[in-house]
Amino acid sequence: MSKKNASPSGASASEKRPKKQKKNVLITGVTGTVGSRLAEALYYDKNVGVIIGVALGAKPYYFNQFDERRFIYKNMNILKSREITNLFVSSDFVEAEINTVVHLAFFNRVSGGREIESHHTLNVEGTKNLLDKCIENGKITKFVFKSSDVVYKIRPHNPIYLDENADLNFDPRVDPWIKDRVDADMICRSKMDNGRMNIVILRMSNIIGRMVSSQMNAYFDSPVTFRAMGFNPLINLIHMEDVIQAIQLAIHKNVRGVFNIAGADTAPISTFGELNQSRMISLPAPLLGPLNTALRKLGLTKYYYSVDADRLKYSLLLDTTRAQKELGFRPRSHVYFEKTSE
Amino acid sequence: MRRKSRERARWLCQKLAPEDYARFCDLKINDLGFGYDPFGLEIESAMLAYSLAQYMYKYWFRVESFGVEHIPEEGPALVIPNHSGVLPIDGFMIAIDIAKNMRKPRIMRAAVDNFAGFLPFINTLFYRCGQLVGARRNFEELLRRGELVAIFPEGAKGTGKSYKQRYKLRPFNVGFMELSLLFKAPIVPTAVIGAEEQYPYMINVKPLAKALRFPYFPVTPFFPLLGPIGMLPLPTKYYIYYGEPFHFYREYPPETVHNPDTIRMLVGKVQGRVEEMIEEGLRRRKGIFGFSLLPFRRLLGAGKGGGPREEVKQLEAKSTSEHHHPNARRHGSHTV
Repeated sequence: MSKKNASPSGASASEKRPKKQKKNVLITGVTGTVGSRLAEALYYDKNVGVIIGVALGAKPYYFNQFDERRFIYKNMNILKSREITNLFVSSDFVEAEINTVVHLAFFNRVSGGREIESHHTLNVEGTKNLLDKCIENGKITKFVFKSSDVVYKIRPHNPIYLDENADLNFDPRVDPWIKDRVDADMICRSKMDNGRMNIVILRMSNIIGRMVSSQMNAYFDSPVTFRAMGFNPLINLIHMEDVIQAIQLAIHKNVRGVFNIAGADTAPISTFGELNQSRMISLPAPLLGPLNTALRKLGLTKYYYSVDADRLKYSLLLDTTRAQKELGFRPRSHVYFEKTSE
Repeated sequence: MRRKSRERARWLCQKLAPEDYARFCDLKINDLGFGYDPFGLEIESAMLAYSLAQYMYKYWFRVESFGVEHIPEEGPALVIPNHSGVLPIDGFMIAIDIAKNMRKPRIMRAAVDNFAGFLPFINTLFYRCGQLVGARRNFEELLRRGELVAIFPEGAKGTGKSYKQRYKLRPFNVGFMELSLLFKAPIVPTAVIGAEEQYPYMINVKPLAKALRFPYFPVTPFFPLLGPIGMLPLPTKYYIYYGEPFHFYREYPPETVHNPDTIRMLVGKVQGRVEEMIEEGLRRRKGIFGFSLLPFRRLLGAGKGGGPREEVKQLEAKSTSEHHHPNARRHGSHTV
């Protein structure tokens, strides 16, 4: 072996420093808005090697730009146990030496422009199966699960800023969309001490952006937005860039546990409505449910009032102290609402 | 508020409280970029609330205060008053008094009862004026940021006292002491005289309170008999006394919070001081409405017997001299 820049000890400076192993990442739900942006960000990340993206459906056109040696797309239902097993024994997976999994695949109410019923069994059992397989695999050292602040119980007497130890929403009457999230979050937490793999749960606040299928996005996209009369809670909006930043930090940093991730913009809901130039109408809270149902049936909104009605009344903001200290997360991007007229 | 609404609010404040407007313009909040602080406080809303409520302060309750110089001008501090009067008007008057009479005005952040969080409009009004539901974490965060915080250690039990039990303090909760030690916040004991009589609370209709999720549903001689008019408080004269601050954190380290006996002892000292100040205040005041009713009672024939009511009357009757508190400057305004 040739010696370059030999030091007195006989080893070169570059050989002394152990090479940082590149992350080879499996992304589930890669065709979603978050998944596709994450795939792009990781593709251009120097510390990431191979990326395997899995989702239901044919490979989208926007992945054609990626070199197939670095980005492999797989059309499969990751939430089915048999398909997970097949993936893990496939040659692509084994050769890629996947050591990190980012789990984004979750059936929402609105998926691909169609309304579908909640798939509680798939969402929750699928997450559990994926998690178990990752732990069993032995070579996967990091599992990142994108959760949401909907898992927290909203109450009027909550502290305004909730940390990661705040009460979760275990109300049995809660909407299945939230129940799925809470159950999947708890499953990930229960496996936290597996001893083989670091599990990171990122609880994101309201993600806003084009094509994002989030409640707040659907709310502000509605032609008419309804507010609960007499209430004007503080909400936090997070930009997609910050979501990607948080996931990248979770992939690269040697951390585990639950982290709240919030955006740079916090204000009362009416303020964002004004910025969005929404037609905001205040009505007594009992009227909002029936009105929302009528608007949805007419196809005028994708927002589901019944999912988290309390969010229109009471503030829920995330304390991100832990993410700032351990992940080094700082929101950098502000949410801009497109003005349709001056 | 929209930009135009904020401008209107400032204009209104300038018209209604011109002498205070310039001082309030110097007030700074930790603005997140939209004119609100992290807890929802909006300066213009607080200014507007002040401009309107100051009339109640000046002409209805004719508040006089003593010792406001005991409140630190900056840094974390805890104002610990007795609580009374069914509705938290005492908190309102203390906040206005502090904003009005301190050399450098401060916005007082008070702990509001949990049930206020359920109420439309009230919930929003409180948050915009800087008041928060009494979740401990909220106040930890405020003290960490060096804010002035008011906590009523009697809680809703204080305001829910019947008229017979007026000025008899309920046992203080200990949370404020723990906050003081953890965040090195001086404690300013505060006595409010006059709030107990604004709504002479006779009985509590518990089933109705439970149905409405209120801590109590009071019946007074005027409410619900006179309907909404009965909800107006009586024009009792308010006296607010701020005592010398306690700096227990200088002697007791933060670990003391794990010693409940010591905490209880320290809370007892604060409660004792507030009780002393209340007694002194009752002794010195001329009458509930700012003048003595004794001549009228003598005309009508005074009642017989002893008891707490008689005791309070005797204390009031003893006060014959000009109202004065030693070692304190007198503040407040009233029409003469």
